[in-house]
Amino acid sequence: MSALETSATVSPRASADRRVEVKGLSKSFQLAKTTIEAVRDVTFDVRRGEFVALLGPSGSGKSTVLNMIASLIRPTGGEILIDGKRVAAGKATPNVGYVFQRDTLFPWRTVGDNIGYGLELSGVPAHERKERIAECVAQAGLKGFENAYPSALSGGMRQRAALMRTLIVEPQILLMDEPFGALDTHTKIDMHEVLLRIWEREQQTVLFVTHDLGEALTLADRIILFSARPGRIKDMFEVDFARPRDAVKVRETPHYAELFQHIWHSLGEEFVKGRSA
Amino acid sequence: MKRYGTLGTVGWQVLICAVVLSVWQWGYDLRTKLPWLVPDLLDPYFISKPSMIFDNFLIQSCLTSKLGAFNSWFNGDFGKCLARNENNLWAATAITLKNTFFGFVTGVVSGFVAGLILGRSDRLSAIFQPFITAVNSIPRIALAPIIVLAFGIGDMSKIVTSWIVVVFLVFFNTFEGARSIDEGFTNAARLLGASEWQITRTVVIPSTMAWVFASLTPAISFALIGVIVGEFIGAERGIGRLIIESEARGEASGMMVAVVVLMLVGVVLSAIIWRLQAYLLRWQRQRSAE
Repeated sequence: MSALETSATVSPRASADRRVEVKGLSKSFQLAKTTIEAVRDVTFDVRRGEFVALLGPSGSGKSTVLNMIASLIRPTGGEILIDGKRVAAGKATPNVGYVFQRDTLFPWRTVGDNIGYGLELSGVPAHERKERIAECVAQAGLKGFENAYPSALSGGMRQRAALMRTLIVEPQILLMDEPFGALDTHTKIDMHEVLLRIWEREQQTVLFVTHDLGEALTLADRIILFSARPGRIKDMFEVDFARPRDAVKVRETPHYAELFQHIWHSLGEEFVKGRSA
Repeated sequence: MKRYGTLGTVGWQVLICAVVLSVWQWGYDLRTKLPWLVPDLLDPYFISKPSMIFDNFLIQSCLTSKLGAFNSWFNGDFGKCLARNENNLWAATAITLKNTFFGFVTGVVSGFVAGLILGRSDRLSAIFQPFITAVNSIPRIALAPIIVLAFGIGDMSKIVTSWIVVVFLVFFNTFEGARSIDEGFTNAARLLGASEWQITRTVVIPSTMAWVFASLTPAISFALIGVIVGEFIGAERGIGRLIIESEARGEASGMMVAVVVLMLVGVVLSAIIWRLQAYLLRWQRQRSAE
């Protein structure tokens, strides 16, 4: 069994190698008069250039953890360090890119202007912007759609454009919240290919939230399994398929099936718990 | 749904106009034969009739003399006629349009800015909410006499009356628009490094635009109403003044000319707004075509 079961304690890796450190993180929401504990005492590290999937049933707090790392919500307890610096809630952290579950392309901007938005914010001159937009458009296979509005695009195209809008500013840490959750299986696997190729080239540190085990296995170096509410880390699994990976072929290997079986059982327990909770 | 040809639509429109204008023009003449069919209201003394309105239009606009002779541009008759009457139809229309424009622009700008600020600040909107509700409950037109008293019978009182009816309309729409912005958009912008001001400029304003435009067509009619009411109460010039003068003389045709001119002005101004909207909100049009 190659699935390495590490506990949720601090790993012995050198501190300089740690890009993201999450320590004793918890979050409770006040809903009417009841307090809902979404996340309880979550601790993990992410290495520089590592692709980590946060896997769990819905309501397991994995998205909440991601949003706290993105500084979109304030933790109730614990802390988050990015490159050794504490994340302050409500303030965007430089070098961190975020891809939403639902593409949040601005409907009033053309696809090209959406992709170039980040550059526009930092005052990159128009001619340089145009060049880089063209590169991204080509990379995302959106040639000919630069001047269309997002409403004219299919779901997959929109999500590719949204991905490029995040990537154009070259973030070194990429936070992705079920970015392909709304896509059909075929489009989803296409997107895995796109993402894998980009990641192999740019070597960003990626935190990828999903409830799809196949997706987590295809993409990640490591899977952090979350339990049903309140979200805690239940288990971690190293995914050691060779790189570069082929999003289709990796699923055909015996080792994939073996890992899938192993994690599936653990994940299944949480889905059952999540349903009864 | 069945689709109607443009020709059919236009045909019906022409027919409706023809019927209405014919009844207006000749309906009262039927009274001698069918008195039970024709209401008193059709009396040209009250509502004039199309041919009289047209003749009156030619006189008021100095295109013909009161006797019906054509005023030539070249021998100076046209110019003399204009000079005799300071509030001739052209001058009246120009002054009413000018005041409508200023009332509209100041109302839209101030309503938009206030709506944006209060819409984006929970604290400010909480503080001002009761005052806004209270002031909004006042029928604005009731303030017109006070405004004329305060600002005199010149243009300023018309602009202020116009402003006060426009500003709330635009304010409430902008406010609602700014409140209902999709948080996904602001979060996306913030995570890409946008400052608060950049978020306002690139997210809040564009996504509020649809709401603002929804208020602009009524706002232009409101602006016109404000100016006319101001002119009714006290003015030396303007279309509202023309109506009051014709009324004093018991001249229905004169009033009707002013009303028709107002209608045309309203149609033209709304068409301009509609064009502007179609251009600025072109991203919406594509969606509806999907």
